[in-house]
Amino acid sequence: VRRFVVLLAVLLSVAIFAAKYGGTVRFLIGVDVTTLLPGNIPDSISTIVGMHIFEGLVDYDENLRIIPVLAERWEILDNGTAYVFHLRKNVKFHDGADFNAHAVKKNFDYLFSANLRNVGQYKGIIKEVQVIDDYTVKIVLFQPNSTFLYRLAQSTGWMVSPQAIEKFGHDPALMSKNPIGTGPFMFKEWKAGESVELVKNPNYWRQGLPYLDRIIFRVVAEDVSRVNQVRAGDADFMYNPPPALFAALQQDKSLKVEVVPTVRTIFIGLNTSRAPLNDVRVRQALNYAVDKEKLCRVLMKGLAKPSDSPLSSRTFGYFSTGGYPYDPNKAKQLLKEAGYENLKLELITPKGRYLNDYETAVAIQGMLKEVGVTVDVKPMEWGSYVSKILSRKPEDWDYQMFLLGWAPGTAEGHQVLFPLFHSSNRMDSPNATMRYNNYFYSNPKVDELIDKIAVETDEKKLLEYFKEAQKLVVQDAPWIFLYEMNIAAVMRKELQGVKIYPTERVSLAEAWIDR
Amino acid sequence: LLKFVVRRLLLLIPVVIGVSIVSFSIMHMIPGDPARIIAGEGATVEDIMSIRIKYGLDRPLIEQYLRFMKGIITNDLRSIRTERPILTELLPRFANTAQLALVSIIISSVIGVTLGIVSAVKRNSWIDTFSMVFSLVGVSMPIFWLGILLIILFAVTLRWLPSGGKGGIEHLILPALTLGLATSAIIARMTRASVLEVLNQDYVRTVVAFGLPKRKVIYKYVLRNALIPVVTVIGLQFGYLLGGAVLTESVFGWPGLGRFVVDSIFSRDYIAVQVGIMMIATTFVLVNLLVDLVYALIDPRLRRG
Repeated sequence: VRRFVVLLAVLLSVAIFAAKYGGTVRFLIGVDVTTLLPGNIPDSISTIVGMHIFEGLVDYDENLRIIPVLAERWEILDNGTAYVFHLRKNVKFHDGADFNAHAVKKNFDYLFSANLRNVGQYKGIIKEVQVIDDYTVKIVLFQPNSTFLYRLAQSTGWMVSPQAIEKFGHDPALMSKNPIGTGPFMFKEWKAGESVELVKNPNYWRQGLPYLDRIIFRVVAEDVSRVNQVRAGDADFMYNPPPALFAALQQDKSLKVEVVPTVRTIFIGLNTSRAPLNDVRVRQALNYAVDKEKLCRVLMKGLAKPSDSPLSSRTFGYFSTGGYPYDPNKAKQLLKEAGYENLKLELITPKGRYLNDYETAVAIQGMLKEVGVTVDVKPMEWGSYVSKILSRKPEDWDYQMFLLGWAPGTAEGHQVLFPLFHSSNRMDSPNATMRYNNYFYSNPKVDELIDKIAVETDEKKLLEYFKEAQKLVVQDAPWIFLYEMNIAAVMRKELQGVKIYPTERVSLAEAWIDR
Repeated sequence: LLKFVVRRLLLLIPVVIGVSIVSFSIMHMIPGDPARIIAGEGATVEDIMSIRIKYGLDRPLIEQYLRFMKGIITNDLRSIRTERPILTELLPRFANTAQLALVSIIISSVIGVTLGIVSAVKRNSWIDTFSMVFSLVGVSMPIFWLGILLIILFAVTLRWLPSGGKGGIEHLILPALTLGLATSAIIARMTRASVLEVLNQDYVRTVVAFGLPKRKVIYKYVLRNALIPVVTVIGLQFGYLLGGAVLTESVFGWPGLGRFVVDSIFSRDYIAVQVGIMMIATTFVLVNLLVDLVYALIDPRLRRG
């Protein structure tokens, strides 16, 4: 009898917890999709929509580990300069075209020949794409590259139907309007400024998926309106609610709130090229003077976590350096040593670009006041702000402190360290490839480590280099290290199986509605 | 009359050229580089450069302007941000905005004119007080706040109407009402003042003295004359609404022109902003022309003008 009861319980729970088929999810987005041509996608919203239509050779999972998708497995040859991918068979694009090695080659050829907007992710890295046989493709690199698989996992590496490239490839707008991939959902309609509708791919290669019949991504610009629509039951999913409404949303019984840490760090850049911030003691003092715990708790309401490295703790390569604990006395002492006891500094910040960006700047103004540093906070509109802090004109290099966020698209640390801290990417460097080092930071040891990280294929050594580089950067303090952002999602209680990634991606491939 | 219309239409050309020069200069005067903003976080130097070259952003300003005007004439301009032909971006949004503007202007004219006339005729009655308080509140209330209140009441709490987005007629009610209430307040005040003024005119006193029924006096003699300034206000408001009611569009997720132009300004999509503004300016001129034609309809004296 007992056995029978157990069996019954198991069966019952399977019946209750088994995913159910059917239904539509209405997913709210804050701005319209920019483009659905993978090689041109610049933003996370287009990526979220696109990842339901397209797939790449590889992808990363929610823990940012590389997983096979359209490639079943791969070998790394010739000291890391060649990748041989064995492709999945019996996969078809939404238009019926076969996915095979020729399709892979066609995609890379198209990316390079049409010079798509994100071609820089592979230019100078991929030397050649060779078709070995129908289901084997070899990608030859100029030199070993530790980030290569992560680069393939980005939207630029998604595979588009070769027939679509043939038909629409001459016009990026047509490609964008006819997105044809191998993913769990097929594109149905895009009403500009209004919505994008996807429907289930009945021939999806992952058996039994997807559960949903339809996804509608709907544009609602105002975040309060997005919250209200989900509360009213007019929509099923939204993310980044205003923190002020956070507590009320968590209490609403018809909703679920999920918080996921991301690879995005928020920091204050310090211009190390000019006095007084050219003195490392001053920069360290500023770090000691900021109470990061308090910022996260009081201001960010738990939607952020103090950071102790230029990398987020979710980013591949992260090492916990311990950072700068809150210690106002030490800050005062360091300032005294440096001879700056009544310091005046200017902090420029965007307003509304990141959650509570301006509010954070003002809070820091208060904290620095306590160690005798007077800060003038100046908010700026994003476009003007970017042109100021990423300017190539020497007369613009007079800024002192600026608040900024960074999220590596590859989800690994090289795309943090290289653009932001390599001296070849300084604003005044003539041959920069990713010019974002606007604190004019340079440390030959850090440069050397970053160069090694770029080409190292042995994971153990790689992590060792990452660790050393992070320690040095934290020591040199070209930033005030603030916090790592979390992403908060609000959904109807019935919605199950949504995957939220630390790269601000959201997948409904395995989602279902529990009615 | 035909000559008048043709002349006004010809006048449109210098207006549009002027607007294009002004919007072009302003867009290029504010700091910010579309290539940098559009390429996104983590773009390489080369990627940014290639966007700049593709859209001619590295060329001298005069050349950029001439290229832009040539693009207008040959209709091969594309949004820098989305790379789609600019008219396929703007026209559907303009249609959405026009739909919203039309319904709101009808709502506000009906409410505004009715309240205005009633409160002028029954001056100092409770109706007058009520409608003037109503219009004071309407004028002073921030529109996005009213919108959010209406959403909370009718969509979240009562669940009678959808909280936003575009769809059937039910999706139009809340945003149109939000815009309409604010606008009707202005129209009501204008109508009241205008009707009061006409009521005090000698000829009105004369027909009243002749013993005509009050109702007839109002409809036949007062309204016609009082309506001219009211039509002007309605026309101006309509033109303004056609330019896109950014706040209302944002709150209700209405895919209109205003929101798109604002987003384009933020991403420095010069082409989308410039064409959008030229479109708004053209509509404004056309609506004004329409208003003048309506004058002629109301007042025969103006027909020859």
